[in-house]
Amino acid sequence: MLGLTITQWLFGILSFLAIMFALMVVFTRNPVNSVLYLVLTFFCIAGHYLLLNAQFLAVVHIVVYAGAIMVLFLFIIMLMNLNADTEPRKHIVTRLIAGVIGGMLLIVMVGALKGAEQLTIVRAGASQIGLVKNLGQVLFHEFLFPFEVASILLLAALVGAIMIGKRDTNTNDKKVINN
Amino acid sequence: MKGLFIISGLGILAMLAEIFKFKKILYPLVLLGIIAAYGCNFMEWNNNMSVPMFGKMIHFDNVALAFSGVILATAFFWFILANDYFEHDHITDHFALVLFALVGALMLTSFSNMTTLFLGIEILSIPMYVLAASRKRDLASNEAGFKYLIMGSFASGFLLFGIALIYGATGTFDLMAIRSYISQANGSIPVFFYAGILMMLVAMCFKVSAAPFHFWAPDVYEGSPTVITALMSTIVKTAAFAAFMHLFLVVFGKAGESWSMVLAVIVALSLVVSNITAASQNSVKRMLAYSSISHAAFMLMAILANNRGFASVNAILYYSLAYSIGSISAFTVVYNVSKEDGNSNIEAFNGLGKRNPFVAGCMVIAMLSLAGIPVTAGFFAKYFIFTLMIGTGFKWLIILAILTSAVGVYYYFKVIIAMYFKPVREGQKMVLETSHVILLAITTLLTLALGIVPKYIIEIFG
Repeated sequence: MLGLTITQWLFGILSFLAIMFALMVVFTRNPVNSVLYLVLTFFCIAGHYLLLNAQFLAVVHIVVYAGAIMVLFLFIIMLMNLNADTEPRKHIVTRLIAGVIGGMLLIVMVGALKGAEQLTIVRAGASQIGLVKNLGQVLFHEFLFPFEVASILLLAALVGAIMIGKRDTNTNDKKVINN
Repeated sequence: MKGLFIISGLGILAMLAEIFKFKKILYPLVLLGIIAAYGCNFMEWNNNMSVPMFGKMIHFDNVALAFSGVILATAFFWFILANDYFEHDHITDHFALVLFALVGALMLTSFSNMTTLFLGIEILSIPMYVLAASRKRDLASNEAGFKYLIMGSFASGFLLFGIALIYGATGTFDLMAIRSYISQANGSIPVFFYAGILMMLVAMCFKVSAAPFHFWAPDVYEGSPTVITALMSTIVKTAAFAAFMHLFLVVFGKAGESWSMVLAVIVALSLVVSNITAASQNSVKRMLAYSSISHAAFMLMAILANNRGFASVNAILYYSLAYSIGSISAFTVVYNVSKEDGNSNIEAFNGLGKRNPFVAGCMVIAMLSLAGIPVTAGFFAKYFIFTLMIGTGFKWLIILAILTSAVGVYYYFKVIIAMYFKPVREGQKMVLETSHVILLAITTLLTLALGIVPKYIIEIFG
């Protein structure tokens, strides 16, 4: 078919869908629809990961982003009861300025990409690197230190979240409020 | 190296204190732990074991150890300043968060891989977001935390995109490999490699709050609790500069022509915007926030002089030490004044020279040092930066820096004038805790000592 392999066809379709859904995220006025389109975008990107033979990344992407984080997003949007009516309409001048600035950025990007030479792949890379076994070996040999240090990052985030969320029980809160 | 482990352990210990009920002795334990970490840091100095560790992830060479030493010493002073910050609920959480932030700061002095750079920045930032918002009932504190989080995450996005582009060009995260890639691939470097460098430049400028990316700084500095502001303007700044320097002097130094002009514009903007805006501030905390932007511009100038080797490293080390000590001193005074008055407006300083001559004297030394008046450490810090800049193509920045410093003198002297020449509103004495008196005495003496004998720090490398 048009001299393209199935992988290339899939790549084209997935890219088209990903870009379309990403545009819909921005253009829909209803935040709930926006989030749902974002979930679809994530699925398309997960498809790309599969094409690159990175199954682990694809599954994690769906489970973590499309599953956990987007559900959280939906919850918050529903709790705050946002819908199309509550969104303020921007003034025409603001829109015009935003359009001009965005357009200028687009011109710069297009110009930069036009000037860029054909991208050369530095390292063809092992095509099996995305498999769970190989990923684990890289993670626990080469990247052992960052892997362990990331636990401190998660611990700090956890402690921080609890500290922000916990109810204050002390009574001298007023005394220290301005320091 | 061991210092990093000791501080991480201390952070976990702080959390265990809640369970095993030794909250009372946690504060002395933390102080002892920091002294121990500093001792280990000192022992590793010149101990030629300095090879990259853990698969070239982290490298405690002498430069890293020197910056770690500055950070640990400042941390010790900071804990003395912040002793009654830890007197309310959830102290263990606060201790843990500050100590984890310290871990991030130490990683930023010693990273030798892009992954450790990113983790270090995040470990430093995430506790800071929470600490900025730690006065939960205070709207300004909430705003500070939220603003810091949004802006910081945005900057992290830039950083990651930059790292990804650089990885795309070089195929490695290892900093030394990237450095040799630049020097070997003459002329055949793809455009997106430079785009990656510029994106990392933007992200790092966010983190050190240089001019077009400084909008978060004044609100965050003003809204946060004063002790946390002190933490941000000393330890976070020193760590961010250590990282900035390592990236742009050591790793991307050979590609200097692609970013030095951009950086020069950022420096010029920072100098002008910060000093002119600071002159019209009424809140001393907000004024110090703008002054920290101007100090960031000075330290960036040392990075611009990227053909001077270790002289730039020495200048940045000296500057960050002088600035950290001066800031700790100034924030101790601001903290005590605002504790009494409830705000840190310039009127709160009226007549401080009569209410407590010792505190006012220390504040004068701190302000003189920050303004860069001779005999104090701040003067030599700026002087060394100027001598560095003479050898570069950006001599016009020296003139701009001197002009804007003159504006700086105006707003630092506003505080001094308020302390000595404005009438006392209420005639009461101002009483300080003993620990704060000792802290002020030490930091003031250090500021003077650094100014009188600068050569021990300024000739430390090469």
